[in-house]
Amino acid sequence: MSSDLITIARSGTKAARIALDVTAQNIANAGTAGYVRRSVQMEELSSTSALNRDVSFSGVRLDRIVRNADAFRQAEVRRTGADASRANAEVAGLENIESAVEQAQLYPAIVQFEASLQQLAADPVDPSLRAALVEDARTMTRAFNIASSALQAVGEGLRFEAADGVTQVNKLTSELAQLNLRLARSADASSDQTALLDRRDLLLEQLSGYVEIGAIIAPNQTVEVRLGGTSGLPLVSGGTTGTLAMSAAADGTISFTLDGTATTPAAGSLAGKAQALSKLANISAGLDGLATSLAATVNAAQAAGVALDGSAGQPMFSATGAGDITLTFNDGSMIATAPAGAGAGSRDQSNLAALRSALGTTNPAGAMDGLIFGISSAVQSASTTRDTLETIAGTARIALQAQSGVDLDQEAVNLLRYQQAFQASGRAIQVAADIFDTLLGIR
Amino acid sequence: MTIIGTSTSAFFDRSNLDLSGLRAQAEKLQQQLSSGDKLSRSSEDPVAASRLRALSRSERLAKIDMTNADRASTDLALSDAALTSFANAIIRAQELATQAANETLTETQRASIGTELGEIHARLVSLANARDSAGHALFGGEAAGDAYSIDAAGNATYIGTAGTGDMPLGDGQSVTRGVTGPDFLNFSVNGSPTDLLTHVKALADALKGSAADPSGAARDALDALGAGLDAVSTSQTIVGSRLAWIDLAVERSTNLGELRTDEQEKIGGTDIAITVANLQQVMLVLEASQSSFAQLANLSLFETLR
Repeated sequence: MSSDLITIARSGTKAARIALDVTAQNIANAGTAGYVRRSVQMEELSSTSALNRDVSFSGVRLDRIVRNADAFRQAEVRRTGADASRANAEVAGLENIESAVEQAQLYPAIVQFEASLQQLAADPVDPSLRAALVEDARTMTRAFNIASSALQAVGEGLRFEAADGVTQVNKLTSELAQLNLRLARSADASSDQTALLDRRDLLLEQLSGYVEIGAIIAPNQTVEVRLGGTSGLPLVSGGTTGTLAMSAAADGTISFTLDGTATTPAAGSLAGKAQALSKLANISAGLDGLATSLAATVNAAQAAGVALDGSAGQPMFSATGAGDITLTFNDGSMIATAPAGAGAGSRDQSNLAALRSALGTTNPAGAMDGLIFGISSAVQSASTTRDTLETIAGTARIALQAQSGVDLDQEAVNLLRYQQAFQASGRAIQVAADIFDTLLGIR
Repeated sequence: MTIIGTSTSAFFDRSNLDLSGLRAQAEKLQQQLSSGDKLSRSSEDPVAASRLRALSRSERLAKIDMTNADRASTDLALSDAALTSFANAIIRAQELATQAANETLTETQRASIGTELGEIHARLVSLANARDSAGHALFGGEAAGDAYSIDAAGNATYIGTAGTGDMPLGDGQSVTRGVTGPDFLNFSVNGSPTDLLTHVKALADALKGSAADPSGAARDALDALGAGLDAVSTSQTIVGSRLAWIDLAVERSTNLGELRTDEQEKIGGTDIAITVANLQQVMLVLEASQSSFAQLANLSLFETLR
């Protein structure tokens, strides 16, 4: 017989030690992001001898350290996570747009302007009513300016974040390319490789937060990353990476290119920001249109009438958009309430009535309400989508975590189990020593 | 056999999410209670928010309508008072004309009646140039200055505009804000148009000696004064019915305002009873979650395995 009790027991203690190490490592990394629970896989050591009846045991050895990661669940986490982060980015952007439009208090300012016009109808030559109208018109132009600059700030913020996202994507892809090179050289199932794999999966998950990716894992554990899905443009292939770039159009919307080829990410926070920016361009154009049409209506009515001193009416606003709409005069007497041909100080208010009915047709308050309604219902529906996608992504993450995360209770049990295994192997050595002593003690 | 269960970090993450979600819900309800508004931003209910904006706009404009209505009714009340003075003056002029028509009066007595009629004419002219609440000519239509101008001989000529213009009362309703001088001072006697001021002036002048037959002139004037009084009373009736119309419009506006407030309350206001009940429920769930989380988090095998 070629078995050796001490050797067997020694291999047992060694295996138990390794298993305890792995358990301790699991416990230590219970809160580490991207850490995948390890478990040990043991293998019996025995040899079959040429002699049939020979008993030949050599104990146990560590076969491999198993990394409990499921490629499918990881891919699901990446895919659903990319959707959720797109929706999150879109909702955040839209909410900022909504706040910018609503908090400028433009709607109340427009209503106040209308109310002032109506009040002026009570006595069109009253200087205080005229002054009130001028001040309300000024408030309205400022509210337009505030809304416009707030929207601009939202746009700048979104573009800045998107540019940062592009930088992050390029950083992550170059890191992945380096990892690929190291993975290709690392030994199979070594602790070095498992750490690299953890890192690889973490990077992939982070990358999928920015853009939708398709990851193809090669047998040597290196990963090929494609943009938008497994059949998209190559982002990382072996040690080479594509360069993602972003450019902003004149209206503030953004577009992306990968190595010069135009691409539109469908998911990920970059896609969400691009969507929010296109809604922003839409709202900005609406606001600009509202400001110019309001200015044109008022100015046309002004031109048709005469001011309090009988001179021809001058334009009241100058505007090429919401950002630069300003009042062109500060003197209330320049409001043309009387029709052309009326004398100085005329109380004839037919031009004011014409202005009010023209404003009734242009309906700036209604248009503003429409703008706010448009953006707020966009926020609402995007939030609903976001909540759904978040739930899906959360479920996928929990499914992955249940499999690959560290459960401290389980580790506590393992700790005890391997400790007992170690003690049992120790006892086996004791038994071997006793047997040896017994043999030596024969006289 | 593996222990079925989620990983420790997932447990903490999820508890964290659940607890913070509940807390956010409770805070939202608390905010609704303290602000009294159900919606803090439009996206919470875009349709209701849009309706609330429309309601607030109607409210603001209705407020202006009410001020305008107040103004119109003040002006009309001023017109009414002035018309009453006109009627009184005309009645006095009628008395004087009746006295002057008496053949037995001496020239001097007629002349003194003529002087009083001259005073009445002056009073009528100044009444015709009365001012409204904003300081404009009450009977001058939309004229910039006086309604009547007086020439050197004391003759009054209307220099105001033909119409008075309308005052909007909201919802497409409006009221004519006054009457012009010619509306009640001009009338026709025996088919020929004339006006009261001219008549009174002519009578005063006739009694003071310009006419060959002053008592005849006084008799003739009685007809014209009667017609003038009729015209003034007619205008007063019109003014009265306009005042009543404004009252109606104001009442309607007030009713609409109540309906608006009601709707605003219904759409945008916090229903205290329901919100408090919901808050209580969320707090209960939150407390239960917190205590169960604390117990579960304590439940570690490391505590029991020694």
